[in-house]
This record gives sequence, C-alpha cells and structure tokens, in this order.
Amino acid sequence: MERSALYWRVVLLAAPVTVFAVLVIWPLFSSFFYSFTNWNGFNPEYDFVGLENFAKIGSDRLFIGAIINTTIWMVAAILLPTLLGLALALLLDSKVPGGPIFKTLFYLPICLSAVVVGQIWIWIYQADWGLLNTVIRAVSGSSFNYAWLAKPDTSLGSVIVAWSWQQTGLSMVIFLAGLTSIPNDLLEVCEIEGASTWQRIRIVLIPLLTPATVVVVALSVINSLKGFDILYIMTGGGPFHSSDTLAMHMYNESFKKYLMGYGSAISVVLFLIALTIIRIYFRNLKKVDEIYG
Amino acid sequence: MKATIIRRGMATLTGMLASVFLMVGTASASEVTISHYFSGPFTSVMQDVFNDYNAATGFTMKDSPVGHEDFKTDILVRGASDSLPDVFSYWAGARVQFVVDSGDLSPIDDMWNRDGLDNVVAKAIADSATLYNGQRYLVPMQFHYAGMFFNKKVMADAGVMEMPTDWDGFLALCENLKGQGITPIALGSMNRWPAQFWFDYLILNTAGPDVRAGLMDGSVAYDAPEIADAMSIWKDLVDAGYFAENANAQTWTDASDKVAKGEAAMTLMGTWITGYWNGLGLEPDVDYDFFPFPTINADAPVSVVGPIDGLVISANVQNMEGAEAFLSFFVSDLDTQVNWTNAVGAVSANVNVDPSVYNALINRVISTVGDAENFAFNYDLATPPPVAEVGLSMFQEFMENPDDYEGILARAQESAQAAF
Repeated sequence: MERSALYWRVVLLAAPVTVFAVLVIWPLFSSFFYSFTNWNGFNPEYDFVGLENFAKIGSDRLFIGAIINTTIWMVAAILLPTLLGLALALLLDSKVPGGPIFKTLFYLPICLSAVVVGQIWIWIYQADWGLLNTVIRAVSGSSFNYAWLAKPDTSLGSVIVAWSWQQTGLSMVIFLAGLTSIPNDLLEVCEIEGASTWQRIRIVLIPLLTPATVVVVALSVINSLKGFDILYIMTGGGPFHSSDTLAMHMYNESFKKYLMGYGSAISVVLFLIALTIIRIYFRNLKKVDEIYG
Repeated sequence: MKATIIRRGMATLTGMLASVFLMVGTASASEVTISHYFSGPFTSVMQDVFNDYNAATGFTMKDSPVGHEDFKTDILVRGASDSLPDVFSYWAGARVQFVVDSGDLSPIDDMWNRDGLDNVVAKAIADSATLYNGQRYLVPMQFHYAGMFFNKKVMADAGVMEMPTDWDGFLALCENLKGQGITPIALGSMNRWPAQFWFDYLILNTAGPDVRAGLMDGSVAYDAPEIADAMSIWKDLVDAGYFAENANAQTWTDASDKVAKGEAAMTLMGTWITGYWNGLGLEPDVDYDFFPFPTINADAPVSVVGPIDGLVISANVQNMEGAEAFLSFFVSDLDTQVNWTNAVGAVSANVNVDPSVYNALINRVISTVGDAENFAFNYDLATPPPVAEVGLSMFQEFMENPDDYEGILARAQESAQAAF
C-alpha cells in the first residue's frame, strides 16, 4: 500500500515536473549556454566567445539606459500600487456609500489582460483625440496635443501609470482582507482614547497590516519583474529606447538585432538581479514570520 | 476501486495525449504549410490565391498569417526552433541574405530552370532580388515603389496644378501650402520604418547610390559628411514646419488618413498606400495621385526606392514538391498576379502581365520605375537587420530632436559599427 502510494506520487508528479523542466529549467540553462556564444538565432553554427558578451554589456549605452529604466520601473511599480491600494482600502473600509460597487470597479482592471489594458491606455494617451488631451483641452481651452507615449520624457511614466491602474485593485483587496483581521477592540480603544484618524492609521492599522504589506510588495516585485507585455504593447521600448527596460532590451537585441548570444547574456544579468531581489525578500519574509507568526 | 479509477483516468489521459501527438505528427502528404505577413484586409485575397492553387494542383495550402511587425520576430523564433513552415513570405535584400547565410532556406534553381522563370520574372528584379550567394532562393510576389502620394483636391484648392520635379520647386510647394494653412507633409514614424524613405531618397539624391551602398555595407560611416549633408536637408524641412506634428505618435495609416481627409497634402509612402486608400473608397487619379521624389543634385543618377516581397522555401521543408509548385504558381499564374497585385496596390514582377490590367496611376509607377537609372531596396531591406535596427531608431530620434542630427549620427555610427 505504502509502495503503491509512493508510485502514484511519482507518476502524478512526473507530468508537472517534466513540464517545469522543459519550459523553465531547460530554457534557463540554454540562456546560460548561449550567453557564451555569438549565436544569431537562425544559424545552427556559432562560436564560443567566452565572456565577450558580458564585457560588451559594460560599454552598451542602451544597457545602461535600460538599467536606469528598470530601476525606475521597479520602484514605481512597487510603490504606486502599494500606496494607492492602501489608501483605497482604508477609504473603502470606512464604510463609504457604495463601497461594494467601488471595490468591484477598482478590482476590475486586474481581470483584464495586459494587452487590453495597454490598448485602453493607448487610446487615453492618443495625442489628437485621446481622453487625457481632450480633458486638458476642455479645461485649459488650449490646443494641447502632447504625444505622451511618443515623447522620451513621458513614455515610461505613462506606462507606469497604466500599470499602476491595473495593479492597484489587487493591492486594495489584499489590504482589505488584512483590515478585516484587525481586532475591533483595538479600534474601539483608539476611539475611546480620542486618537485622531491619522494616529489610528499610523500607530495601529499600518503596523498591523505588515503581513498584508509583505504579500502586496512580494506580488508587486514579482509582477514588475514580469512586466514586459504592457511595455511591449504600449511603447515597445520606444521612442528610440527611452522606455527600454532590461527585459525589453534583451528582447530587442535577441529578436530584432538577431544577437541571440548577447541577448542571452542580458537575460543572465536580469536573472541574477531577480535572484538577488528575491533572496533579500525571502530573508525579510523570515523576519516578518518570526514577529507575526 | 480508487486505484482503478485513477488507472482508467491515466489511461484515458495517455490516450488523449497520444492522439494529439499523432495528429500533430501526421500532416497530410499533400499539405504545404505557409506563414506570411499579409494580414488584415489582405488575408482574404491570399486565401483566394490558396483556393485557386489548391484547385489547380491538388495540394492544400495551410496558412498561418501573422501581423506585419510581429512577423519579423515570429519567423526568427520559428527558425530558432527548427519549426519554419514549408514556405514563408520575406523581404528581398539583406533580410533574405541573412536567412540564406544562416542555412535556413532551400535553393530553388532547379524549379526556376524547369519552370522557365527566366521568361517570367523581369530580369532587373530577378538579378537584384532572387540571387543570393550565386543561387536562386526567392520568387517575387510583387514589387512596390515609394513616391510622394498626395491629395488632389487639397493641391487643387491651394492652386497647385504642376507637381515639382526639383528641390527648389518642392520647397516652394511646401511654403505655398504652409502659407495657406495646409500641413504640407504627413509622416507616421511610430513604427519607425515609414521615415526610412526620406533618408533613402535624400542620400540617393545628394550623395548618390555608391555612397548609399557604402553606408549599407559599412564602408561609409553614418557620420560621414555626405550623410550629415542629407540629414541637414531633412532637418531644414522639419525646422520649417513642413511636417505634421507628432510624427512619432502616428502610424503610416494615421499619416495616410491625414492626407486622405485633407488634413495634410502629401506623404512619402510605398504603393501599398493605393491599396489602403482604394479600400477606403478613394479613387486613383480622382482623389489622389503621386509624383516622384524631386531631384536635388542633377548629377546624381535617378533612383527609385522600394521593397520586393517574395516567397522562399525553408531548409526543413516537408513538402518540397508542393512548396516549389506554389512558388511557381504564384509568380507565373497571370490571374493570380493580376488579382494579387491589384489588391495590395503593387506591381507584378511577371513580364507577361498586361499593363492594361492596371489603372493609369500604377502604369505611371511602372514608367517611373522603368525610367530610373537605379532601383534601391529601402533602408531596412538594404542593410543587415542588426544595423537596420540602429538606423530605424535613429530616424525616430531625429524626428524628435532634429537639431541634434550630428550627435545622433555619431551615436548611430558607434552602434552600427558594433552591429557590423
């Protein structure tokens, strides 16, 4: 019986492990392998170039730009949905009229695919007839037709706004769940002691929302690292690389310039960055676990 | 009992998976797989070609159309995973050369000679677009020409009856239009490539084809004085306010729409714009017309620019007979060539197609191309793909910061040198 159970465990685990190995482990090691070659993606023949691709990274000004953009993207993609989600959760938890409707409305964008969200915001940002410029024209009375996604100064920021709009609903729901687990006694004590709303939030709610915050930040980090699709749809890294992140730069070098070896080297660097961030996160998660059980 | 249910479930699952693999693995022997970038309104026209071919030969074309821009990546991914279709459409020039050098295409010399395609394909096109490393690899589907397409009513309302042939005349036209509150030129450089025609014509018309060929193969630098001179002419046009605002926020269809609606007077675009405008209900020679890019340097040979779309056979072809038959059918069958080229707004490379099947405007395109001393592939088909990526981004940056054109050229040279 015991052996039979073990047999079925192995059999049933074989399928997902095989899929994981083929779709994740194999490409991961392939990337490592190709990062030491000059493969162009088409030609079956290639040469080993040692660390040449990694050396090239240091002098690639587009890579430097992509590192800066990735940092901006990650910080903004973590901070904005977290802060906005917390603000909305606190607001909706205070029993505002129509709360359930607002909760549904704010959560709705997370149900949409990045392609749909990207397309909606492309229309909003459209220079001639987009919603944003139409509103600005109506308010200011000017002939404002700024091309938000086509200008290097605003392209990345515009995508971050769209991304935050989609992700905020998820943070809000997690914070709302966290708020329901806070004992009412504590909130009543605050009221009896005459604490102001800000004091209640700062001293009681935010510290007790730490476990929820950890989950929100973790999801934001993971989602921001995966946040390639919306950038691809909205700007494709443009105009002229002004919104390139590392993932986008890797894609462009591999699939547009046909420099698969160099693209693989960038993906290895991206992997190491992600690994470092995740290690830091897990170390801190352990500390939070020790404090909050 | 529980174990029996699980076993039955596993057996069923295994059976289903086996069926799927068997279905995938046993493609019909008469099937020819094809991938192409003629999506949207052109999908149904291509489907008509497939239907005619299937009926004529007994083979079955199985297609997977991909959007024009996505195709460039999709075909690379399929090539990298050895899953190229039997036949795919591709752009003649440096892009086909790249795939040939990668060993991913089958030569078609035997079929070319057997089916007598020397007597079918125009010699100039056969020489420039089908031969790579001394062998035939491509059959041309059609060729396009890039010219200055304009709205006839806008020009007539502005009192312009004669289109310019030289640069002074062109500048005078732009100034005249601008003076009357009409935006002279629409450009949609959001997808980058539409701007390349300006770069191509300005270099060909100032420095000439040899310098341009040198730029394409890396023997002439992007920051060479001849290239900077051409860019300074382009800069003067932007500075004078002749281009519509926000070029980088517009696609080529947005720019074409501006001209069609009379919001701009003209746009430098390929003949596929005629297919697009005809689809909107505009009529050639009634609503729109074209003129060749004006001469800047009278000593430079008259050059025309355009792409040639072609069909190629992959090296891992499963049905060589069906694939070769399709390539031959596409270029040789007169009805197919007429229907196809008329639908996509292009010109047939088949010398046996009677020019009378085309409208007067396309016939003038044929004359313009025929009279030219030099036919050049447009920029992103003339230089290797990694370098083309550098240049395409350069055009977009130039449209945003024309004053920095010298800095932009210097940075482009640095990147192009690395890419070469």
